[in-house]
Amino acid sequence: MIGQVLGHCRITAKIGEGGMGVVYRAYDELLHRDVAVKVVKKGAGLDASSSQNLLQEARASSSLSHPNICAIHEVGETEGDLYIVMELVEGKSLYTMSAGTGLPPESVLRYGVQIASALSRAHDRGIIHRDLKTANIVATPEGLVKVLDFGLARRMGGGVLEALTMSFSAVQGASSVSGTLPYMAPEILRGESVDARGDLWALGVVLYEMASGRLPFEGRTGFEISTAIMREMPKPLGPPVPPGLWAIIQRCLAKEPLQRYQRASEVQAALEAVQSGAIVSPNVAPDQDQPGPPKMTTMHSVRHAQVKKGDLLLLIGTTKGAFILRSNAQRARWEIGGPYFHGHAVYALAYDDRAGQHRIWASTSSYWGTLLRSSPDFGKSWTNPQEAPIRFPADTGTSLKNIWQITLGPADEPNLLYCGVEPAALFETRDAGETWTLVRGLFDHPHRPRWLPGNGGLALHSIVLDPANKQRMYIAISSGGVYRTEDGGSTWTAQNRGIRAVFMPDHYPEFGQCVHKIAMHPSRPGRLFLQNHWGLYRSDDAAENWTDIANGVPSDFGFPIVMHPHNPDCVYIIPVDSDEFRCSCEGRLRVYRTRNAGATWDPLARGLPQKQAYETILRDAMTTDSLDPAGIYFGTRSGQLFGSRDEGKTWQRILEGLPSIVCVRTAVVDGGSASTVRSSTTTRSDVTKSAPSHKTHRSSSRTKTKKK
Amino acid sequence: MSLTFHIPGALREFAAGQSTVKIDSPCKTVADALSALWTAYPALRDRILNEQGQLRQHINIFIGNENIRYTGGLSSPIQDSSEISIVPAVSGG
Repeated sequence: MIGQVLGHCRITAKIGEGGMGVVYRAYDELLHRDVAVKVVKKGAGLDASSSQNLLQEARASSSLSHPNICAIHEVGETEGDLYIVMELVEGKSLYTMSAGTGLPPESVLRYGVQIASALSRAHDRGIIHRDLKTANIVATPEGLVKVLDFGLARRMGGGVLEALTMSFSAVQGASSVSGTLPYMAPEILRGESVDARGDLWALGVVLYEMASGRLPFEGRTGFEISTAIMREMPKPLGPPVPPGLWAIIQRCLAKEPLQRYQRASEVQAALEAVQSGAIVSPNVAPDQDQPGPPKMTTMHSVRHAQVKKGDLLLLIGTTKGAFILRSNAQRARWEIGGPYFHGHAVYALAYDDRAGQHRIWASTSSYWGTLLRSSPDFGKSWTNPQEAPIRFPADTGTSLKNIWQITLGPADEPNLLYCGVEPAALFETRDAGETWTLVRGLFDHPHRPRWLPGNGGLALHSIVLDPANKQRMYIAISSGGVYRTEDGGSTWTAQNRGIRAVFMPDHYPEFGQCVHKIAMHPSRPGRLFLQNHWGLYRSDDAAENWTDIANGVPSDFGFPIVMHPHNPDCVYIIPVDSDEFRCSCEGRLRVYRTRNAGATWDPLARGLPQKQAYETILRDAMTTDSLDPAGIYFGTRSGQLFGSRDEGKTWQRILEGLPSIVCVRTAVVDGGSASTVRSSTTTRSDVTKSAPSHKTHRSSSRTKTKKK
Repeated sequence: MSLTFHIPGALREFAAGQSTVKIDSPCKTVADALSALWTAYPALRDRILNEQGQLRQHINIFIGNENIRYTGGLSSPIQDSSEISIVPAVSGG
């Protein structure tokens, strides 16, 4: 056979053989690619009618195009033998990989999702596999699953199945392929008609086998196996198999088809739900023996960035989950961890290394409410509170919609944090997040009933602490304006003099402005910068008065405004066209920078798309790092992440294809030192801690601030 | 009184991995039944109700095939053997 040509494929090597057929490696001389060719021998249990049916179904299956389905390129006959030309998949079968004690839960979930996705596509096209088993599912070294032999089983006897489903596991040393009986659903054994739910039963068997290394229904004879399938329940799977996965397997293995999942997409969704954080880690849950859910959730199935001392982290929040990127100080390559919290919006992130910890805080929001969670190990595990830690007291009649901002307290108060939430309110904790308290002084402010929601809701999105005065703090609300406290939060005053509110009859009201973001450099706490809903401002007197600084920007509408980490005169913004058209001006994505506190602004566009780039960058989707030269980063609603490691002179696209990006934060991992907080999350300590830690600073004296 | 709750996949980690939870408790309303459910699995509460005790906006509860939003909300009456399904709404983007 070696050297022969079938169709336009030249056979180059034999790579496996079963009782009824042989698998060859071949080279497609027309399309110049390696392929696999399965040849079913004459007399392999096929009569003429069955052969024609097999050919028809193979042709039908060849129409399936899915990344987890091994593609069938061609079918034909040669000298009475049937042959099938298919995609060459090099990897190990799940049969081989599961042998022994099974696979780790994260692998079971990762592979299970892919198999379910493949089944879903095929079932949607009316194609049922009918012989799904670990022996005909191959995982590549990259972790991509390929399901083999879709639709080839319909007219085949068991022996032919064995031949057809022989995969590259033969190459890996699995000389025999297990029969299909252990994967057969009860209705098949009863001789009833089979539909897609038979594949879902087989998927349950595959999941069980992957998770445990053994089959759910075993026996010494076919009769014993059949009896077990028909009558017995599989032996329960305990830790490390998470309860959520075991529940999915049980439902797949319901004896009656009506009691199973009815669609493969349901199984996929259920597996993804477990992937998203529903996995109980026996190693982490401190009260595992107690009833109730774990206090910590381990993200088994998520790829984690391997964080080291000295690394720079990018924390990315999107509308569908969070990502953690790491790089070294060169910031040239990024390792990506995530997604964390599948399907949950993550509007706020913060890195907390006070008191020697390495804690990432995240707000997650979904159908099931909004939670503040934290990870002590760069995302590998997360707190999983039974009760939502941030909640409005009963007497307020208000309920939490979202957490927009997480702000750390000073380095010498490592248990103090603040959260800005929607509907607009401020919460604080003084015990590192165990208990949170509504800041009543602001919530009970007489202005509050007249604050109005902006497009994103009525959100308190900015919290700025004065590093020189622990009693002073600023917050900003859309639409409520800027408020300041001078007494640690007991009382608050509106600080909006000079800020426009174009949507109000009085364009300069005491409060009610739609402030999009405020920023302060910790070395100059009396000065603030503000990006407004129409308007770009600076205050030099602790928000008593605001001055328009939109000098030469293409639009004074925008969302983010961030400070250079070392230069208190340097600020970055990204203008958008208008309220009505919140996209980068003229289809050109440009960051604008002032190095003289707003007297002039310069566009920074090298490396950013300048044609047909109608991007929106939201208020918390831009940040800087604390390195020198400073890195600037921003994410778009279209899911692109851009970065500059030379203070904005040149830009690179770091990632694309993410869900809408709503939050970008950075952190330098200092290896456990309690001394230096170097995060883009503002703390009161920055003024004393971060400034001396950098060898070069752009002194404010180098550029003269031009006051208007 | 025996009730059966159908637990959606996303919440099963808070119900010992179960897709259905049977509750034997005297209950007159959905609110009573949910209280009994919280007693067994307290972490479910904040995922289904907000802190004011209202059903979350994008969560639906069905008694049999009837959405309680049309039968009196959490005050909807229930009967022995009622099957109560907790289902996320079809919404969002």
